Amino acid sequence: MSEQDMLDIDGVTKMFGGLAALKEVSFSVNRGEIKGLIGPNGAGKTTLFNVLTGVYRPNAGSITLNGSSVTGLRPDQITSMGMIRTFQTIQLFEGMTVLENTMVGCHTWTRSGLFSSGLKLPGARREEEKIREESMVILKDVGLDTRPGEQGTNLPYGQQRMLELARALASRPDILLLDEPAAGLNQYETGELSQLLLSLREQGLTILLVEHDMGLVMKVSNEVVVLDYGKVIARGTPDEVQNDPKVIEAYLGIEAD
Amino acid sequence: MEKLEKIDATEKGRNYRILLILSVFIFTVPFWAGLIPGSILHMDIVNLMVLAGTYACAVIGLNLLVGYAGQISLGHAAFFGIGAYTTAILCTRMAWFPTWLGVILGGLVAGIIGWLVGVPVLRLKGHYLAMATLGLGEIAFILFTQLKGLTGGTLGILNIPSLSIFGLEFDTEFKLYFLIWAVVMLMMLLSINIICSRVGRALRALHSSDDAAEAMGINTARYKTMIFVLSAVFAGIGGALFAHFLNYIDPASFTFFLSILFITMVVIGGMGNIWGGLVGVIFLIFLPEVIQGLPHWIPLVPESLTNFGNYELVVYGLLLILFMMYMPKGIAFGLSRGTSYAKTKFGHLRDRISARKYEGH
Ligand SMILES: Nc1ncnc2c1ncn2[C@@H]1O[C@H](COP(=O)(O)OP(=O)(O)OP(=O)(O)O)[C@@H](O)[C@H]1O
Ligand SMILES: [Mg+2]
Repeated sequence: MSEQDMLDIDGVTKMFGGLAALKEVSFSVNRGEIKGLIGPNGAGKTTLFNVLTGVYRPNAGSITLNGSSVTGLRPDQITSMGMIRTFQTIQLFEGMTVLENTMVGCHTWTRSGLFSSGLKLPGARREEEKIREESMVILKDVGLDTRPGEQGTNLPYGQQRMLELARALASRPDILLLDEPAAGLNQYETGELSQLLLSLREQGLTILLVEHDMGLVMKVSNEVVVLDYGKVIARGTPDEVQNDPKVIEAYLGIEAD
Repeated sequence: MEKLEKIDATEKGRNYRILLILSVFIFTVPFWAGLIPGSILHMDIVNLMVLAGTYACAVIGLNLLVGYAGQISLGHAAFFGIGAYTTAILCTRMAWFPTWLGVILGGLVAGIIGWLVGVPVLRLKGHYLAMATLGLGEIAFILFTQLKGLTGGTLGILNIPSLSIFGLEFDTEFKLYFLIWAVVMLMMLLSINIICSRVGRALRALHSSDDAAEAMGINTARYKTMIFVLSAVFAGIGGALFAHFLNYIDPASFTFFLSILFITMVVIGGMGNIWGGLVGVIFLIFLPEVIQGLPHWIPLVPESLTNFGNYELVVYGLLLILFMMYMPKGIAFGLSRGTSYAKTKFGHLRDRISARKYEGH
């Protein structure tokens, strides 16, 4: 791996019983790029996210984040090291407001514990204020600052997706793993999302983007990796990938089923 | 940004206000309790409230664990008992031992045991956690009974001294009332602060989904253990106060029945409502007394109600089922709904009255 790699995935294999959901997957994500990860349904994209974030342990291979190995670490440890994900099926916290959901995201860079919170020590109070301010700024960035007191799960579907994104951004990540962030968004919302992703890259954030909306992937990605049956079958610039016969076959093959 | 501060602050500010009003109310009770026709109901209100205060310590902590963090415990009587036995043993074996230190150590020992038990047990979920904590309660009960050299076996421990803090004696119910309810109110204040903090959000998040919470960087195992230990400490302190209040304890006070009573109090009061614990305790402490008192002041009510103790458990079981089915958010939620309803109704009325005044002019 080279100096500029944010994330390096090396020979990762994940078995579910006899099924190899991932077969020796290797690629790296450069610092400050948006990398698209595409592939037909069941190709193993979500499984790769689960392995990267520590939900599953890989059967073989290693994962290096920012120069240090994260293979075998717990999900919360990996998140604290700067890699955070969103979910393909929305997982907002029930019974919490839009603002509170975002504030949970600030967990990684804050420290107040049971004592300082319970006794409302000055440090905890200051931190709480900082959390609230920063969360509100992020909600504004994603366009959700109008009703911060609303229950998160009461928002329309598209806004729930944006709230998940806001919650992830609140953790001040180095790299963001997005699992189909445009699923269920209308055209207008998808346009907003692509603007947001580009501006996040501008600010120096690295993004690994799983997405079925090819228009979006091809528009924002620096490079695209294609997964099929758990294997990397192609990689390159959006143009190269779109014209790769193997990729066309993988997608057409699925459609012909 | 100002508008925003409000959204979050109102809830907390409201809770502080309620706590203040409630404290004022609670601390005046002993002064007027004797004036109301309590004798008709055959209740000693101050005595019952002191008992309720000791239970409240356990139930407030249990509500944080069950209602906010979503982790069940069917064995919290164990911690209540451990707190009680710790201070009872220390203060009866060594006459010089400061009783206030006994209470603190009661909480501490309960917390340490809570930690030892919590670390392995909290990996379990749902039914398995329920069964494991049930086992904890049973084991504690057996130890209270069998470690005769330490606990006095089924006979228990007699002559536990009354509480005294630096020469201040809490040797009457009247005095003890203020001390115990001060402790309860302090625990309430801590709970309110915790719930509206980073820690509270982490607990509520893992209640909603372990996976999503972990994805946010929350060490769920650590936070579950943390709140389990805190609830054990609260219960231990409650138990220790209980021991100094009754001056006598035996294993029969810390059975499975007490664990179930605690859980019932949380559910009926309102799981995940900060006031639920208190409401549940007071409701369930006074309910049997009111029922037993009925035959004395309403004619034609059967005398057999005075034997309420015989079918107490059945009634609690029924209440638990009915609340789960029809009022899963508990009485506290109903109360807050009621007050906001009353407020809007009252508000309309006020508007109408003032409108009429203007018309009159
Ligand atoms: N926990 C699991 N146990 C067994 N098999 C699994 C598990 N998770 C995923 N799989 C299987 O692994 C393969 C890859 O699934 P995965 O969800 O990673 O695909 P995907 O690329 O995200 O698809 P989609 O585009 O539909 O989200 C599928 O065959 C799936 O059935
Ligand atoms: Mg998927």
